[in-house]
Amino acid sequence: MTTKTVGAPPAEPALRRRRPAAEARRTTRTGLILVSPALLFVGVFALFPLGFGVYISLTDWPLIGPYHFIGLGNYQALLHSSVFLQSIVFTLKYTAIVTIPIFVVGYALAVFVRSNRPGSTVFRTMIFLPYIVGLVAESYMAVVELQPSSGTANFVLAKLGIVSNTTAWTVHTGLALTAISILVIWFASGLTMMLLMAGMQGIPQEIYESARVDGASWWSAEWRLTLPLLRKSIALSLIISVVGSFLAFNQFYIITDGGPGTSTVPVVMSIFQTAFAQMDVGLASAMSVVLVIVVGLITFVQFHFLQGDEA
Amino acid sequence: MATAVRNPPVRHGRGGRHGRGGLPWYIAGGVAISAVFVVPLLWEVFRSLQPASAVSQPPSARTFGHLTLGNYQSLLSGQDDIIRNVTNSLIVAVLAAVLTALVALLAGYGFALFRFRGSGLAFGLVLLAFMIPFQAVLTPLFLEMHFFHLLNSLLGLALFYTTFNLPVGVYVMRNSFLQVPRELVDAARVDGASVITTLVSVFRPLVMPGIATTALFAFLFSWTEFLGALSFLTNDSLFTLPVALSNVETGTYGAVNYGLLLAGAIIAMVPCVVVYVALQRFYVRGLVSGALKG
Repeated sequence: MTTKTVGAPPAEPALRRRRPAAEARRTTRTGLILVSPALLFVGVFALFPLGFGVYISLTDWPLIGPYHFIGLGNYQALLHSSVFLQSIVFTLKYTAIVTIPIFVVGYALAVFVRSNRPGSTVFRTMIFLPYIVGLVAESYMAVVELQPSSGTANFVLAKLGIVSNTTAWTVHTGLALTAISILVIWFASGLTMMLLMAGMQGIPQEIYESARVDGASWWSAEWRLTLPLLRKSIALSLIISVVGSFLAFNQFYIITDGGPGTSTVPVVMSIFQTAFAQMDVGLASAMSVVLVIVVGLITFVQFHFLQGDEA
Repeated sequence: MATAVRNPPVRHGRGGRHGRGGLPWYIAGGVAISAVFVVPLLWEVFRSLQPASAVSQPPSARTFGHLTLGNYQSLLSGQDDIIRNVTNSLIVAVLAAVLTALVALLAGYGFALFRFRGSGLAFGLVLLAFMIPFQAVLTPLFLEMHFFHLLNSLLGLALFYTTFNLPVGVYVMRNSFLQVPRELVDAARVDGASVITTLVSVFRPLVMPGIATTALFAFLFSWTEFLGALSFLTNDSLFTLPVALSNVETGTYGAVNYGLLLAGAIIAMVPCVVVYVALQRFYVRGLVSGALKG
């Protein structure tokens, strides 16, 4: 029986049609049972909190005690909350600073490792390592190495005559942002490289060969062929990187703790502090709703991009 | 473009448009570029092996050769009780990896090989979770986990990690099952074997790579996650390693000791490197399938 079926794949639709109704019902139930644990997890720990968050954002919910509906009061308060607005501006600024360098470095690296020349696999692995190790461990390392008189950063930069050996990186907003941006570009460009490389390897080689026959230079082939054909991968890598920057928390919490003052507080840290330090859960939820909408918009633009590619 | 995706990826061979420039130059360039990404990590390993006093001073030729495991010894035997935190991290990461792989395996099986009413909606709901940043539901989730007594619980944290690894996992597993030859699926069905028997005996070997990818993603995510653990754990003895290190950083247990902090960061780093280097083909496979499908 088994061999017969294997030999005759086109018979499959007929087989399906002949299936008795009872078995179809059983299949339906089995399918539902199989996917129900996943639905339970996602429903309980992702979708419900999302709806619950919208509900809480319309109240003055404290961490402990009774609550009251206050309509859009929290959202109005947000418009006047200098801390929140400052964190949004700071997050936008940070995102603007790191996005292009991550993309450009990642693209250049992808061009370098996409060929299957000896060593390229090893190079890929090594360049991707900072991403795998994670920003948390690396932020702790940065804390040690950014110390004014003992850190390696100042030691090397002072030898090169770029900064003084006593530069206090985390005490000045601009310096802190510079150091964190460099750390993040180093951390994240490997991921962009991997995503773009996968896209580049999906482009048929013949396209380049015909372009070469037509006398196109390497640069013009890259500009006129690779970039347009890579639109999907480029959109994906940019979205991952921009959303990641929007949701930044770890590196700021560990390296600057939002300081000096509140000048390096990103949005997620602002929510975290509002909820767990000021215990204003209602306001924190309103901030979260704004964040979900912004991130949702970015994702929507991504899908728009991808749909356009399909047409 | 669709054709390009369906075709097997054409490798840019040596004879291709990168033929210019000799191999020695390529290798030399590659080593230099790789060094930018790897040497800082190796340098930190080296620094963590210096005496704590040397870490708090500028690197100098005099202390350069003094290597010791002192930082690791004091970190692992000190009041910080880092061994317990490492254990917590391992429990949470392994639990999340196993749960994610199991739940995604079942869901991928159901979505790929069974037709049922609401299938499309259910798959959409799972993927919708992909678009919900966990950072943005942290506050309501905190209240909910409090209600379920899942705060200060390693199980609770693992359930949270599982949820946010499921969208990718279900996606990867569904694709794995869709690649199983149709004839094999029908043969198994006609043979009358039960759903679970079929899964274990017929499909398991075929979808093993997908399971490895899913578990690996979940493990690495959970091992390195910080914000959720910081929010849902308040009891020091339950802290995972990344959170426990913030206590070392601020010197909660006494004077700040950067030697200890570096040793802790290296302990956090090593499992990632080992697991990734050993299983990287599964990781890259997951990245690439995600990248091509968008």
